[in-house]
Amino acid sequence: MRWLGDLEAEILDCLWKWGRPATVREVVDDINTRRPSAYSTVMTVATILYNKGWLTREKQGRAWLYTPVRSREAYSAALMEDALGASEDRPAALAYFVERMTDEEVAALREALRTADRTAE
Amino acid sequence: MNAAPALLGYAAAVGWVAPRVMLRSSWPHRSPALAATVWIAFAASFSLCVALAALHLATPQAHLHGILYSCQVALGIGPTTGAGAVERVGIAASAVVVAAHVVSFAFHALRARGARNGHRRILDKVGRPSAGLRATVIDHGVPAAYCLPGRRPRIVLSTGAVELLSRAELGAVVEHERAHIACRHHLVLVAAQSFATVFRRLPLARHLREQIPLLLEMAADDRALRSYPHGVLATAMVEMASGGAAPRGTLSAGGPTALVRLRRILGPARCAHPALRGVMAATAVMTPLLPLLLACPPGLG
Repeated sequence: MRWLGDLEAEILDCLWKWGRPATVREVVDDINTRRPSAYSTVMTVATILYNKGWLTREKQGRAWLYTPVRSREAYSAALMEDALGASEDRPAALAYFVERMTDEEVAALREALRTADRTAE
Repeated sequence: MNAAPALLGYAAAVGWVAPRVMLRSSWPHRSPALAATVWIAFAASFSLCVALAALHLATPQAHLHGILYSCQVALGIGPTTGAGAVERVGIAASAVVVAAHVVSFAFHALRARGARNGHRRILDKVGRPSAGLRATVIDHGVPAAYCLPGRRPRIVLSTGAVELLSRAELGAVVEHERAHIACRHHLVLVAAQSFATVFRRLPLARHLREQIPLLLEMAADDRALRSYPHGVLATAMVEMASGGAAPRGTLSAGGPTALVRLRRILGPARCAHPALRGVMAATAVMTPLLPLLLACPPGLG
């Protein structure tokens, strides 16, 4: 069901990009500029996102107007907090490139790099 | 012949002496992947020894064939001729050792996978996949680089990291993370973690838990160095370590592992001697097999 996840991301992308409430029709039209997509599919996925708590909606005439619950930045920040929060379990769940270090450790790293540059010259 | 004393002696050697020898040697940092394999082999042979010793203590006359026979009896699938109460205790004890490992591994693996799945569900909506970087980019000013290993792996870079590092440095970072994913390092970590949970106070378990994460990082560094110059990876490490936000490693009590890795990357590249590597590979194969040979000498079989 990879395409479903892709569509979720695409719908949210549109709404975050516009920064205003929008109808499913508007989203479908935007997606259709890149590739064909069915109104009913986008409608279904928008409802899924609403049920998952990613979108809120209010009725305008006969259509629903959808708005993201939180901004992309807020989700990114939460994601980073989750990734970088110290937890006993993290090492097995995520692999970091390098760990956080104290200033002295960073200074030692820079010194090691400088020494290597000098010997390379 | 009762093999229990021999098995326990062997377990003591592997559990107490072997880690000290490994820590004093210099070759593990030169061939980190092989060293990680040897550590895991030690752990496997220690567990096997303990399980077999429990059996042999309870059934002094038995060797492995006899044990298999009594297992059948205990499970009710073999001829039911007199499995004594003591034998059952022995079988139960070794079953507990085996079960503890299975449960511990499953616990750590599922907990990590649950954390990853939750993270990935949000990541796939919030992050932007970048084909050029071969990673998912999230909008965040603080430089960060990490990966979600497993079945649907993701490599994550923050926009902070993308701005901080040069194109080549980003490539080296991504290559490092790809090595973690391709070599299934997360499973090795879980194995080390679960062994350390079962035998908490054992020196072998303590050191293994500290050494394995570092060795896996080094192995991933080596993979990145296959396609990127040493200086590029080293600079990326220094930049990310100074500007980056990652938690302090909870497993690496040995202090700044990045410094150890950096000195290694910048130092003269030398792999352990082929003969030594051969011996250590043989050690990795033989240590888990030895307990079986002790428990069941071919001559008696």
